[in-house]
Amino acid sequence: MTRTHRLQARIALSTLSLMLTTSACVSGSGSQDSSDDPIVIGVSLPLTGDFSEPGKGVERGYKAWAKIVNDKGGLLGRKVELKILDDQSNADRVVSDYEQLIGRDEVDLVFGPFSTRLVVPSARVVEEYGMLFVEPAGAAPEVFTQGFENLFYAAPAVADDHYNHLAEYILAMPESERPKTVAYAAMDDPFAQGTAYGLKERLQKAGIRTVTDEVYPPNTTDFGNIAAKIADSKADMVVGGTQYQDGVNLIVALQQLDYQPKMAAFSTAPTEPEFAKAIGNKTEGILAPTGYTQKADYPSNKEFVEKYTKQYGKAPEEDEANAYTTGQVVAAAVEAAECASQDPDCQDKLVKWLRGNTVDTVVGPLKWDDKGRPQSAHMIQQWVDGEIQIVLPDAQKEADLVYPKPKW
Amino acid sequence: MRRGSELPSRTHGLLHLGALLAAVAVALSFPSMAPSPYEITVGIAILNYAVLSTSWNFVGGFTGYISLGHGAFAGLGAYGTGLLTAKAELPPFVALFVAAALVAVLAVPVGYAALRVRGASFVIVSIALVLIMLLVFQSWASLTGGSRGLVVPRPFPGMLRAEHHRTFYFLFLALLATALLSWWVIDRSRFGMGLKAIREDEDKAQSLGTPTYTYKLVVFVVSAAFTALAGGLYALWFGDLDPVFQFSILSGAYMVLMALLGGVRHLYGPLLGAVAVGYALEYAKVEYGDTPLHLVVAGLLLFVVVMFMPDGVIPAAGALLARFRRTGETSIREVTAAELRGRREQDDGTEVRGSERTTRGA
Amino acid sequence: MPSLSLVFQSVVLGVLLGGLYALLAAGLTLYFGVMRVVMIAHSAFLILAAYLAWYAHRETGIDPLLTLVVTVPLFFAAGVAIQRLLLTRLRPATLTMMSVLLTFSVALVIEGLLGYAFSGTQRRIRLGYSSASIEFFGARVAVVKLIAFGMAALALLGLYVLMKHSRFGQALRATIQHREAAQLLGIDTDRIAGYGFGLGLATAAVGGTALSLDTTIYPSLHWHWIGPLMAIIVVGGLGSVPGAAIAAMTLGMLQSLLQLELSTTWAQTVFYVALFATLAVRPQGFFGGRLAQRF
Repeated sequence: MTRTHRLQARIALSTLSLMLTTSACVSGSGSQDSSDDPIVIGVSLPLTGDFSEPGKGVERGYKAWAKIVNDKGGLLGRKVELKILDDQSNADRVVSDYEQLIGRDEVDLVFGPFSTRLVVPSARVVEEYGMLFVEPAGAAPEVFTQGFENLFYAAPAVADDHYNHLAEYILAMPESERPKTVAYAAMDDPFAQGTAYGLKERLQKAGIRTVTDEVYPPNTTDFGNIAAKIADSKADMVVGGTQYQDGVNLIVALQQLDYQPKMAAFSTAPTEPEFAKAIGNKTEGILAPTGYTQKADYPSNKEFVEKYTKQYGKAPEEDEANAYTTGQVVAAAVEAAECASQDPDCQDKLVKWLRGNTVDTVVGPLKWDDKGRPQSAHMIQQWVDGEIQIVLPDAQKEADLVYPKPKW
Repeated sequence: MRRGSELPSRTHGLLHLGALLAAVAVALSFPSMAPSPYEITVGIAILNYAVLSTSWNFVGGFTGYISLGHGAFAGLGAYGTGLLTAKAELPPFVALFVAAALVAVLAVPVGYAALRVRGASFVIVSIALVLIMLLVFQSWASLTGGSRGLVVPRPFPGMLRAEHHRTFYFLFLALLATALLSWWVIDRSRFGMGLKAIREDEDKAQSLGTPTYTYKLVVFVVSAAFTALAGGLYALWFGDLDPVFQFSILSGAYMVLMALLGGVRHLYGPLLGAVAVGYALEYAKVEYGDTPLHLVVAGLLLFVVVMFMPDGVIPAAGALLARFRRTGETSIREVTAAELRGRREQDDGTEVRGSERTTRGA
Repeated sequence: MPSLSLVFQSVVLGVLLGGLYALLAAGLTLYFGVMRVVMIAHSAFLILAAYLAWYAHRETGIDPLLTLVVTVPLFFAAGVAIQRLLLTRLRPATLTMMSVLLTFSVALVIEGLLGYAFSGTQRRIRLGYSSASIEFFGARVAVVKLIAFGMAALALLGLYVLMKHSRFGQALRATIQHREAAQLLGIDTDRIAGYGFGLGLATAAVGGTALSLDTTIYPSLHWHWIGPLMAIIVVGGLGSVPGAAIAAMTLGMLQSLLQLELSTTWAQTVFYVALFATLAVRPQGFFGGRLAQRF
C-alpha cells in the first residue's frame, strides 16, 4: 500500500467522522408545549431572487399580523412567534426550508410561501408531515389538482377567475364597440399564465379573436421583439399575464413602439406601489385585477389598515393583505380547535374545522371547496386620473371604467 | 509513482482497510443517529454532491479536462427519469437506468464535438451545453413543463417522509460506493494509465500509440452516465424539477470545486471535498440564513484552490505531513511532467515565467 | 407569415443587438488573443458596470452615460491587475483550464457581492426618455436602444483605430499573432498582454453602461450573456477581433429574425447551434487563422 493512500484514507476518515458527528449535533432543542411557550410559526419566503419584492410584502403582512395578535394577548393566551427563512425564490430551498422548520425547529404551525411555483413543492412537504397548510399565493389551477388535503388558499379567488368581472363587462358591451382582437403575452409561470388564459378562454368563447399569444420565461429581460409582434398585430386589446418587473418592461417596450390599444390589462404589476414611477407615469387606463382594497369596510380590515399604517408608515397592498388573511384563517382555526402543535390530532382538527366553516377576513368572508379553492371573486382596478381605482364590479366601484383607454 | 517503504506494505493495507471500514460504519449508522429527518436530508444532499463530484472526476481527474457543464448531465438524468416515470409510466427505478443510458448515448456526440478540440473550446462547449439545455427545457413546455416545473411521481407512494429520506440515503450511499469502485478499477487498469498519460502530455501519449481520442470519449461517456444516475436519483427523491435549478452552471461549478478541493488525483478527493463544501453550505445556511454571500465564499474558495493548491487538500496535507517527518517531498508526491520540466529549468538557471508558455502551444 | 414591416422592425432590432454583442465579443476574444484565456468573468464585469450606472443614477440622478468616465479607467486598471497579478501566476502547463476556473471564481464573487449589496431584485434605470422612440423608415427605434448601439459602435471603432493605427496596436497584434517573435522584436509582451486585458475589460464597462439603459438587470444575468458571447468568439475564430464582430452581427440578426416565428427562448438557441456546428465542421472558426487551430 502506498503512503499516499494511507494518508488520504486517514484524512478522509477523520474528516468524515468529524463532519458527520458535528452535523448530528447541529440540531434544535425540542420544544415542549406549555402555556408559557410561544406558538412558533414557520414560514419560508423569497426575500431574495425573482420574487423578492412580493416576498417582502408577504413578510410585512405576516409580521403585522403577529404584532396585532400579540398586542391583544396572543393566541390561546400564548404569544405567537414567526420563524422566517429565505428560500431565494428557489424550489430546492423552499423544500429544505420547510423540512428544517418542521423537522429541526419543530415549529407548531406553518404558513405558506410566495408564488405558485414554490407553493406546490412546499405543500407536498407539509402535507407529508400531516400539517395544515394555509397559503397566501398559490392561485394557479394546478395547485388544487395535486390531491392536497390540508391546503387552503387565503385569498378571494383562484388565478383563472381574476378577470371574471372584466370578461362580463366586455361581453355586455354592444358588439360594435367591443374589442375584436386581443394580443396575449404571459410569463411561463402558473399564476401569471392562469390570469391571462382565464380571460382568454372566456373571450374566445364569445368570438373575440386571439391575434398573438406569446409566452416568455421568467428571466426574460429584453421585450423588444415580443412588443414588436404585439404592436404589429394591431390588436384592439392587450392582456399581460405578468408578475412585477416583466410587466413594467413589457409596457415600456410597447410604449417605445407607440402601440395604442383600446384596452390594456396586466396582472400584478399595475397594483404595485412603484409601478407608476417605473413606467414614467404613463399609466392612464391600465387595468388590473386585485383581491384587496384598503377601503373595504370589513371590521378586521379597518383595524388592519390602521395598525399596519402605524407600523410601516404606508397602507398595505395586496401581498400584505393576503399574508394577513393567511394569519387570520389559521388563527380562526386555532381558536376553534383550541390547540396549536405538530400533534397529528391537533393538525387534523384544524383542517377539519376549516373545511366546514367560513372565516371573516380583511378580504371578506372566505370559505373553500374540498380542494381548498376559495369561493369569491376579484375586483378590477384601473388607473384613472393618475390613481388606481376600483371600476368593477359596480357594487364596489370608485370610478367608471374608461373605454377606449386614453393614449399612454 | 514512487512509493514510500517505511513500514511493511501489509500494515498499510490493514490500516487502510480499517479506516475504510470505520468510514463505512459511520456512514451506515448516520441515519439512526440523526435526531430528525432534517439531518438525513442534509446527509442526502452531501452524498448527492459526493456522487456528482466523483462522477465528474472520471473526466477531470483522469484526463485533466475540466468540464463546467456536468450540471447538464445531472439535469438530463433528472428530467429523463422524471419524464419516463411521469409520461411513459415506466417503473421509477427502471426509468432511472433508462435515462442514464440515454444520457450516455447523448454524451457521445457532445463528447465528439467537445473533445476534438483541446483546452479552451472544451470548456466553452461544456458551459454551452448547460445553457442550451436550460433554453430547451424552458421552451419545450409541452413536454417538460417549462418554467412551471415537473412533478416526479413518488417512487414509494404511501411511505412516510422520514422513511422516504432514510431509504434514499442508503440508495445514494450505494451509488457513491459504485462510483468510487468504478473509479478505483479504472485507476488501476491499462485504460486508466492511458488516460493519465493524456493528462500529463497528450501529444506524447498520442505519439506513443495511445488512442487518446477514443479513450477520452469513453471516459467522458462513463462520467456522464454516473452524473445522470445521480441526477435521476435526486429527481426521485426530491420530486420537483425546475429547469433553472437542474441546468445551472453553479451546480457544475460546485462539482469542480469539490473535486479540486479534495484533490482530483485521489479516489477520495471529490468525496472529501463534497463533505467539506456540502457541510459548510448547509451549516452557513442554518447559522447565517441564506444570503448571496455563499456565492462569494464559493468563489473565494475556488480562487484559493486554483491559485494556491491546484492539486487539492489531500496532496497539500500529505506534503505538509511528509515535510513534518522530514522525508523527501518527491517520495510521496506525484509529479507532473510540466513540474519536472519547470524544476529542471529552474535548476538550469532559466527563469520560467507563467505568461511565456501556453498550455500546449509551444 | 409575418408582415414586411415586422420583418424590417426585427432587422433593425437585430442590428442594434448585434452591435452590443460585437463590442462585448471583441473584448472576450482580445483576452484569448493575448493570453489564451477564456475570461468567464467578462459578462460579470458587464453586469457590474450596469449596476454601477444604475446605482449612480439612483443615488445622484446623473445620466448613466457619465459613469463611463469612472468605470472605463477603473475596469482597464482591473483588467491589467487581473492579468499581471493573477493569471501570470498560474502554472503554464494548465493555464487554459485553470484560468477558466480562476475567472469563474471572480464571476461568482462579483455575482455574490452584487446580490448582497443590491439583492436579487430586478433593477431598471428610469430615464425621462425611456419610452421615447423615433421613426425610421416605418420601424420604431427606441432612443435608448439607439444610444446603446451608438456607444457600442463608437467603442468598437475606437478599438479598431487603436489596433490598426497605433504603435501599441501594432505591438498588441504582434503579441497576439506570435508571442515569441514579438519578443524578439523587442516588444515587452508581458506589459502589452496586461494592457490588452485592460482594454478587453474596458469594453465590458462600455457594454454594461449601454445595457443598463434599456434592460432590467439582476446579479445572475451574466450567465445569459457569457453563453452567446463564447459561442460568437468560437464561430468567429478564437482570437480574431474582426471575426468576432462579424459573427456577432450575423448571429444577433439571426436571433432577432428567428423570434418572428419562434419564441424568445428557442431563438436564443441559435448561438449554441452555431457553436456546435462550427466545432463539428470547422473547429478553428470561420475567420480565425493559424492561432485558432490549436485550440
